[in-house]
Amino acid sequence: MFHYLEEELEQLKTKIIKMGSLVEEQIEFSIRALFEGNLDLAKTVIRRDDEVDKYDIKIDKHCQRIFALTQPVAFDLRLIMSALMINNDLERMGDIAVNISERAEPLLGYGELLRKMRVDEMSAKVKKIVKMSIDCFVNSDAELAKMIILMDVEVDKLDKEIFDLLTKEMKAYPDLIVPCSHILTLIRNIERLSDHASNIAEDVIFLVDAKIIKHSKDPDNLKQKE
Amino acid sequence: MTHPKIKTHKLNLYYGSNRALKDVSIEIGSNRITSLIGPSGCGKSTFLRTLNRLNDTIDNVRIEGDINIDGINIYDSNIDVVSLRKKVGMIFQKSNPFPKSVFENIAYGPRINGINRTKELEYIVETNARKAAIWDEVKDRLHDPATGLSGGQQQRVCIARALAVDPEILLMDEPASALDPISTSKIEELMFELKKDLTIVIVTHNMQQAARVSDHCAFFLSGEIIEYSETGKMFTKPVNEKTQNYISGRFG
Repeated sequence: MFHYLEEELEQLKTKIIKMGSLVEEQIEFSIRALFEGNLDLAKTVIRRDDEVDKYDIKIDKHCQRIFALTQPVAFDLRLIMSALMINNDLERMGDIAVNISERAEPLLGYGELLRKMRVDEMSAKVKKIVKMSIDCFVNSDAELAKMIILMDVEVDKLDKEIFDLLTKEMKAYPDLIVPCSHILTLIRNIERLSDHASNIAEDVIFLVDAKIIKHSKDPDNLKQKE
Repeated sequence: MTHPKIKTHKLNLYYGSNRALKDVSIEIGSNRITSLIGPSGCGKSTFLRTLNRLNDTIDNVRIEGDINIDGINIYDSNIDVVSLRKKVGMIFQKSNPFPKSVFENIAYGPRINGINRTKELEYIVETNARKAAIWDEVKDRLHDPATGLSGGQQQRVCIARALAVDPEILLMDEPASALDPISTSKIEELMFELKKDLTIVIVTHNMQQAARVSDHCAFFLSGEIIEYSETGKMFTKPVNEKTQNYISGRFG
């Protein structure tokens, strides 16, 4: 039984890592499509979302099978529960990459405005957080997970700053209201990516330390809440 | 724990020179089911048998340390072992009905304790057969041999027999390991009912059974308690790596 379970858990972990890499690439491509005005790349992201969805279903089924056949406990149980939650977050991140790609066309030719509104800065930060979230799952690194949660707070702060920048821009240049509205939606999407990465970090802390810390963004509480 | 039903302190048991229990200290609360888990030969059954002094019958056994039940050391020289075993009943892995009728099996304890009036015995038999969830299945065959019942029914008759002397503690040594899933489930449901009135300590090799039925769980390894905690905690967040490895099937 033990070897069977070990093998199943390894395969499950591999699926999550592959899905994570795919989602990370989808996000990278969607942002590149946006800044480069590359509509073909945007279409590729939209088309490849099916692959992300297929992983989502595969992972759900795999978890169901392991639950039914092995009645896992302790770390093994937490690994499968985490896999289910991370799978859900990754799938949502895949959908957001599609949403970002869909902004590439209406924002075609507004590269300068995107940079002026600090979207490049926010995107770079969020891409880093997403990468770290997948790394922290791969390495079961709870310390890295805690850093991600703190970085998500910085993204929220930047999101508010960009919101202020956008409203000022729209007031000053009413002819930019349409592209600025698209950017408004875009930064919501990018901010949500960071939230999902932060959820993954929370799942990793649950996996490693058996602590449930969701709904608490206070880093001082991270060590206390169980 | 404020008033443990059972409390052992630095309990050591030797079979000759072999130390089978090593400084076992544990507090077991009233009206709870406590399961003892661990690989074969880890000392869990030996420990269980110390709780009603069944090891007394084995040659070369030496015991050190304390075992208190309701605050009284059961190894004190003035303890009446028969009264102790009336208070602390035992159910074994293999059902062991006497070669008598179902009625006489359940009435056996009360009878040897001086109860002979038929009406009273009939009342005791029915009450305890009901408590053991076997009444409906045997009420029309009370005077048939108990050995003619199925394994699961025999085990519940043995539980009724143990209950008939009003024990406060029930020790169960793998009580369902020889039973089919339906009989196992009946025994487990019965345990939930019985813990309202009794303290139950069960040895089991079945991890799922320990997780399902017990409130607290003690993991034994090589005669020592490695971890003792609330069962939900042990099966989701064990503290010791050896516990994690055992309950997830990595050894044992």
